[in-house]
Amino acid sequence: MAKFLRHVQYELFLLPILIVYSLFTIYPLIRSFVLSLTNFNGYSLDYDFVGFRNYIQLFSDDAIVSGISFTLLFALGTTFLITVLAIPLALLLDRPFLTKNLHRAIFFFPSIPSGLLLAFIWGFILSPVQSGVLNSILHDTLHIGPFPWLSDPVLAKLSTILVATWAATGWHAILYLAFLQSIPKDYYEAASIDGANRWQITRHITLPLLAPAMTVSVMLLLTGGLKVFEVPFALTNGGPGFETHSITQVIVLRGITETQFGFASAMSVVFFLIVMTIAVIQVTVMQKREERIQ
Amino acid sequence: MKKSSVWLLALMMAFVVVLSACSSNESADKGSGDANTAGQEKKNVKLSILAWNNETEMKPVLDGFTAKYPHITFDFQFAPPVKDYIAKLQTMLLTDTATDIFIIAAENRNEVIDGGHALDLTDYPFMEVMLDSNKPMLSKDGRTYAFTNNGWVGGWFYNKKLFEEAGIEEMPETWDEFVAICLQLKEAGITPLYDNMQDLTQIHSALYGNMTLSQDPEFDNKIFAGEKTFAEGWTDVFELWKKDMIDTKILTPDMIGLTGDQIESEFTLGNVAMFFGGPWSIAKLTETPDLDFGMIPVPGPNPGENYYVGAPGVGFAVNSKSSHQEEALLFLEYLSTQEGLDLFYEGTGLIMTAKDYEAKVHPSMQQAYQEGLMEGRIYLPMVTWPRHQEALRNQFVISTQDMAVGKITPEEAAAAIDKKFNEMENK
Repeated sequence: MAKFLRHVQYELFLLPILIVYSLFTIYPLIRSFVLSLTNFNGYSLDYDFVGFRNYIQLFSDDAIVSGISFTLLFALGTTFLITVLAIPLALLLDRPFLTKNLHRAIFFFPSIPSGLLLAFIWGFILSPVQSGVLNSILHDTLHIGPFPWLSDPVLAKLSTILVATWAATGWHAILYLAFLQSIPKDYYEAASIDGANRWQITRHITLPLLAPAMTVSVMLLLTGGLKVFEVPFALTNGGPGFETHSITQVIVLRGITETQFGFASAMSVVFFLIVMTIAVIQVTVMQKREERIQ
Repeated sequence: MKKSSVWLLALMMAFVVVLSACSSNESADKGSGDANTAGQEKKNVKLSILAWNNETEMKPVLDGFTAKYPHITFDFQFAPPVKDYIAKLQTMLLTDTATDIFIIAAENRNEVIDGGHALDLTDYPFMEVMLDSNKPMLSKDGRTYAFTNNGWVGGWFYNKKLFEEAGIEEMPETWDEFVAICLQLKEAGITPLYDNMQDLTQIHSALYGNMTLSQDPEFDNKIFAGEKTFAEGWTDVFELWKKDMIDTKILTPDMIGLTGDQIESEFTLGNVAMFFGGPWSIAKLTETPDLDFGMIPVPGPNPGENYYVGAPGVGFAVNSKSSHQEEALLFLEYLSTQEGLDLFYEGTGLIMTAKDYEAKVHPSMQQAYQEGLMEGRIYLPMVTWPRHQEALRNQFVISTQDMAVGKITPEEAAAAIDKKFNEMENK
């Protein structure tokens, strides 16, 4: 009985967060699902139950098909690029040199302002006209361009991915750096005594021990990438056509702009399931990899 | 607690009590003063407003109203047009937190009126001031739900110096002449015009007015009655635009990435000869030193049947659930008075279109004002379309951009709009 009471005592401490979580996460999710079965237009609370009609119509929508393809490309592209850049950057920032703190701050800085603000600034840099910052530099130095950075279907996708990569690489490098600094120095000393060179140390000690950091970083990048909204919205407004529409932008478009709230809710529910499935698979696979490595 | 601290605390509390007593007396005096001047007791009211004119623009008229009715003050809220404003108002309406006064635009009028959120203003005396041609955009079934005292008309601002450099002496009267001067500018190494194709383009709207509406003014109504299709009214417009603007590279796909501000800046810097604008651009253009500019309409292929792009201004509506309806109606009434109209113009610089009010228009816009706005030869699809304005507008933007990058043909673009329309009708 005493043991039970002690447990109840601990559970009570979790109650406030459980209430907050239920109110702001669980309830909206349930409410979204209920609305996805209706023709709610977002203005009038007088709506009809339409069953699974919204779910059936979902994949015949051009915007959604395009949104899914761009979102997956964005999520995978940014995850790959940021991971490939952030690990070497973290290794570099881990080295002892005079201005290391300044360099860490410089690389971390782009992750502080909101994505929307950064994208607006990059909009000026990538402006497609001759007087755009990048085009003007390319023209003056290499006599090439101007390039339609934000209006050509391929370049617009590339620009969006690169801007997002630029903004987040520093943050993820600092994440890796934190894990790097938790690796016991004994391993490095032992490896040095055994005559291992720098590459061997990195290959056989540092990278394997960074596996937990990679699990966290990749999960954050993948889920964040799948939920992306601000960068493409501010940079290209989703254009040209539907080329850089993300799934979240399509949900906002169908729900708020076109007052198809029920339909947009159905998209949100399916999107939630997709993100959850991908995140669970990714974490499971990478945790198994961690166990194998360690 | 130390003895000295206790004394200090007691002293501070006494000070606070004295101060609050003074403050209560002061406000009580002020309230009674107002009541005495009005001859009857008037309760202080804070009227909330949500607008897409910012606070600087609205300040003169709000100050003027407060000076006349000192018992009414404002809680002013702003959201930029169009999407942000609509989203904010929608959230407020759904959660019963909407302001006492809000604006209705072409893009959300149906939803606001159908949802019963706006008070029926039809029979209030101040509505007499509103132009009859301004009423349909803010009405449903003959009842009007918002008050507007302004309208807008737009056209192509052109840089006179660049036109001279290209040797252009005559202003274009027809579409072919318009295309010819664009090509002449291009040959002279001058970018003829910028259009970012981020909205339902002004060229398309003006051409539709000239080519379709001038033949059948009821064409839009027929589309929505199921008697005609968008393809029947718009395919020729798209084909002409594609042939004369895209294929000639007067408009290029890279313009899609431009923002409105960038276009305006490029014009003021003399990097482009023309851009589409309206009364909202005048302030920036007149502030630019040595910029000599004028405005021309978008002429169509049929001479003498030109349409301007324009619409009534957005209207102020009273929240049907507001507990301050009387005061909100007072504000709308004030907007209709000579003083209110003057102050609204002073802040916003918009073209006032109230009855018996002499509007002040920048000289460059005089022709557009007279031939377009005052004669009712203005067209903006979202105003005429009775339903699904935003969904259709979005589809137009997507189709235009897809045509510009060569992804689809004009026929496919028009068909995509019909498809969207049918999808919305059956939702």
